[in-house]
Amino acid sequence: MEKLKIGGLKQSLELCQFDLKGRNSSEKIVSRVTKLLASHKINIDFLTCNPNSTRYHQFTFCVSQDKVFDTSKLLKAKGVLPTGWEMDCREHVGILTVFPHQSALNIVGAIMIAWATHSIPMYGLSTSLSAVSFVTDYRLIEKSVEVIQDSFLLPENRSPLKPELRYYQSDTVKGR
Amino acid sequence: METIAVYWERRIKTYGFEKLADLALIEFSYPLGRIKSLGEILSQNDLQALNPKFMIAQESDGEISLLLCAAADKGKRFHESVKRETGRASHRYIHPVGIIFFHGPHFGDRYGIADATFSALLRSDIPILASGCSSSSIYLVLAQDSMDKAVEVLSKPFEVAK
Repeated sequence: MEKLKIGGLKQSLELCQFDLKGRNSSEKIVSRVTKLLASHKINIDFLTCNPNSTRYHQFTFCVSQDKVFDTSKLLKAKGVLPTGWEMDCREHVGILTVFPHQSALNIVGAIMIAWATHSIPMYGLSTSLSAVSFVTDYRLIEKSVEVIQDSFLLPENRSPLKPELRYYQSDTVKGR
Repeated sequence: METIAVYWERRIKTYGFEKLADLALIEFSYPLGRIKSLGEILSQNDLQALNPKFMIAQESDGEISLLLCAAADKGKRFHESVKRETGRASHRYIHPVGIIFFHGPHFGDRYGIADATFSALLRSDIPILASGCSSSSIYLVLAQDSMDKAVEVLSKPFEVAK
């Protein structure tokens, strides 16, 4: 079978994933949580929300692994999550972003097959204008890259896989 | 080596708001243990014309929930096909919906972008049908008739770079 072409791959730093879900509709939960995280200067690296899912309402986001304790503490505070909502925290996840040349649907399907064959989990995905981002186990991210490199055609001059710069946000902003 | 730079946007810069209208939202769940078979369904040649404009997947309780938006005519056929292929009861199909998506020079590097987005929509009582934020982009799926109002309210916290 002919290999699909992709434009490149990029992997994130180590993250943790929070899944918030409940059966009662709450339009305010996404706004409340993102406001809370912003007020504590916590950046969100990945977010999906499906407020009216067929099963329940789910809001998933990833923050840096070093923010897991702060974020858990904020979310567990009384009154943050509506009654009946629950929180799951999955530590040590990473995002692998694939820059597709061809159909995103085909690429998502092919990666589901390839990762399942090699027992690599897929915890979530989101598309953007030119890329598809997959959340997986950070400890398996090198293997997940290898599997994709074996399964797809990548250009020879592709950009680096790993981030070379890390941005830290200062707690104070002078001259604001 | 550490380099310290200070930059603060009074209004968050974006490259502009893009709108896509007359789309269908399709959602279905699939057992996580059979994700390989879902991959085989999504890889079928006759589904590639669907060309979804937006897709997210969330995993929970042993199932993966896939939500996508595509042109209404193709979306309807895809929904019928998925119902046949998966034989699952939990489906969602909404039409018409629209997508607003935008990205900016500092999205992904700083906190507060999602808050600015979701707070603005909540203040104006604009319901979000789905959303995905990754790779410095924000995608919002909304009822089609609320798209213009959404762009108007998002234009307050966000400034379109000139």
